[in-house]
Amino acid sequence: MVQELVSLNSLLAGQSARVGKIVGRADHVHRLEEFGIRGGTKVQMFQPGNPCIVRLAGSKFCLRADDLLRVFVRPS
Amino acid sequence: MPPASEQAAWNVALIGNPNTGKSTLFGAMVGVHQRVGNYPGVTVEKKTGEYTFEDGRYELVDLPGLYSLAPRSRDEMVAVDLLIPRRADAAPVDAVVCVVDASNLQRHLYLVSQILELGLPTVVALNMLDVAGDHGITLDATRLEQRLGVPVVPLQANRRIGIEPLRTALASIVGQASRAPESPFPEAFQREVTQVESELADRPVSESENRPLPRYLVERLLLDVNGYLQGVLLGEDDRESAQRVAQSRARLQEAKLEIPGVETASRYGWAEQILEGVVTQPREYRRTTSDRIDRVLTHRFWGMLLFALVMVVLFQAVFSWAEPLMGLIEDGMGMAGRWVESGMQPGPLRSLLVDGVIAGVGGVLVFLPQILILFLFIAVLEDCGYMARAAFLMDRVMVRVGLSGKSFIPMLSSFACAIPGIMAARVIENERDRLTTIMVAPLMTCSARLPVYSMLIAAFIVPNHTFVFGLLSLQGLVLTSLYVLGIVTAVVAALVLKKTILRSEPTPFLMELPSYKWPSARTVCFRVLQRGWVFLRCAGTMILAISIVVWAALYYPHDSETVEPPFRQRQEAVETRLEALSADDPAGAELKAELVRIENEMAGAYQRQSVLGKMGQWIEPVVRPLGWDWRIGCAVLASFPAREVVVATTGVIFNLGEDFDSEAEEDGKLMRARLRAATREGTDRPLFTTPVALSLLVFCALCAQCAATLVVIRRETNSWRWPAFTFSYMTTLAYLGAMATYQLGTWIAGL
Repeated sequence: MVQELVSLNSLLAGQSARVGKIVGRADHVHRLEEFGIRGGTKVQMFQPGNPCIVRLAGSKFCLRADDLLRVFVRPS
Repeated sequence: MPPASEQAAWNVALIGNPNTGKSTLFGAMVGVHQRVGNYPGVTVEKKTGEYTFEDGRYELVDLPGLYSLAPRSRDEMVAVDLLIPRRADAAPVDAVVCVVDASNLQRHLYLVSQILELGLPTVVALNMLDVAGDHGITLDATRLEQRLGVPVVPLQANRRIGIEPLRTALASIVGQASRAPESPFPEAFQREVTQVESELADRPVSESENRPLPRYLVERLLLDVNGYLQGVLLGEDDRESAQRVAQSRARLQEAKLEIPGVETASRYGWAEQILEGVVTQPREYRRTTSDRIDRVLTHRFWGMLLFALVMVVLFQAVFSWAEPLMGLIEDGMGMAGRWVESGMQPGPLRSLLVDGVIAGVGGVLVFLPQILILFLFIAVLEDCGYMARAAFLMDRVMVRVGLSGKSFIPMLSSFACAIPGIMAARVIENERDRLTTIMVAPLMTCSARLPVYSMLIAAFIVPNHTFVFGLLSLQGLVLTSLYVLGIVTAVVAALVLKKTILRSEPTPFLMELPSYKWPSARTVCFRVLQRGWVFLRCAGTMILAISIVVWAALYYPHDSETVEPPFRQRQEAVETRLEALSADDPAGAELKAELVRIENEMAGAYQRQSVLGKMGQWIEPVVRPLGWDWRIGCAVLASFPAREVVVATTGVIFNLGEDFDSEAEEDGKLMRARLRAATREGTDRPLFTTPVALSLLVFCALCAQCAATLVVIRRETNSWRWPAFTFSYMTTLAYLGAMATYQLGTWIAGL
């Protein structure tokens, strides 16, 4: 079953998801991708909120979502 | 090609993502033989170190931590320039050590892929295998080495495991011919790069260098859409080249090769192939100790509470632990002054040494304990990984003034001194956020304001007023309000700047939270000493120079012909009367006191006709609305180069003649008494009423009285425009604030 895309911010603590789509200016999106957050990567919410803390592979990073940059994910 | 002589060293660049243990590895490789300098022409710190291995000398450069070799800021351009020199005089790099974090190899291979494309001899240092193990990740280093085609050395830099193998691997590759560069990009993209490369072939890489742009930079020109690199490489005027780049991008877009998405897709695609069968990821990541700590420290409530606690302890330490050390330094300076005084004849040279050099240098040295303690805290918090959490917590607050959590560390450092604070703003990628942070950082109450505050508060705020069962004193309350005034003004100034001249789109706030670790004593000590030294050198030389200039402005022209005659007459008259009296006549003491008074009046007259005194009288109409007379104006004017000078100049100006210096231990109290006794000239109304003292305090809190800060702003922004702006806006604010305080204060007092 194909899950619907939801905003990364709506994940609950401990919930995992795969990145579906990143919306924002090309260079901002590029930076996020260089960081390792790109379509298909598995992420796990660590601390919800804004900014939130997300786990990605062996590392954690924090990210503030605003109108300029939004990450949409498919919860798994 | 081997080094030309025994003296020449192999140049090796150390590169890697932030938080990979790169600096720890650097320390382990070179030991204490490290230097900090600047890259030519820019103020980015260049950390280099040397070691010898099997009769070869190696010079290691620790580059700033990077996620990608795509320059977006000066820091990143420095790294690119070092690897692919544009300047003819820059020594090319003989080898690259790329440090990667084994617990997140896929992301780290992104940078590796960019470095391999340069074709330089490369070693991959595989660090943090222990952390990867904790996460349940296993990997096969030998297989990774085969796939990458360059040496891979597993190591644990923090425990000095694998350092010798890394040195051996480096020795085996330096001097090798460059490898054939590998490109992970699809062929259509590579063809396009080749075409643009030939189109731009007649365009020299720089004005002095007549060779074309290296291929990697051409590729970056196509990929970097934010315009930074284009500005650096092509400048504003080269429309033709810019046009070619734009056309090429359009062609790529048509061929369904998204710019810049093609880069991440290609490089991660390559990384996946490399890692296939090399790394096994666990199904579920194990909970690490870091995670458990973060549950509390990044918690919305408990995290904030602990953060507040950390800040309280930090400031408590800065102000109370430093106290005894500061007292020791002050005593030492006082002793040095008396020693010089007792050993020299009075005259310009003695005056210069005591009032200029010792008072000036002492003024700086006194802050050193506070600054070292603050840096110690910052270094420990940074090294253990807490600073990133603090930035995360503060982002929620900072975003309201239009900045991000990354502006927090510069602001915090500015409580010790604005200079390191402004330098710490380098980590902010958004140029306008960085500028805003730099502009408001000098409003934070730095330690140089403290002596000014304590002098005036001690003299004019009634000490025995306490509230809340004696827990709060009026003096403490005034001091706290001055700190709050600085913070509030900074917040408002940041808001206004971000809404007007520095308006920009917010940059996404994205930051890695490194795993917690025990701070390494070596790293912390080194950082504290290094920053302390930078402060001493920068502020010390500047303040020494200023002290001498201020001293000279108060001493010269020292024209005894015009100043002394009227006093000489009175002096002689009193002396004749004194001689006529017998030795035990009680009137003798009275006459002697009269002589001291004349002496002081003469010193005052000398000051009035000194260069600075004339300037003070000249600006008096300007400072009158603030409740000041020419003497306060003078003291403030003299302290524009360095605000801590205000204490010294106030002392000199309010007739603390040389006679009083011998009673140095009583100096503090005497100064207070003198200030309280000061009257408006020609009247017996006290000069320093509470509104006047408060107006002076507010002025000192808001004014840009620090030449060193302005010079650093000039260095960091590469233009005189920003220091000029900072100076004007802060001085205007200070003037208006002081005027409002005085006028309001007098009005309230008159009610």
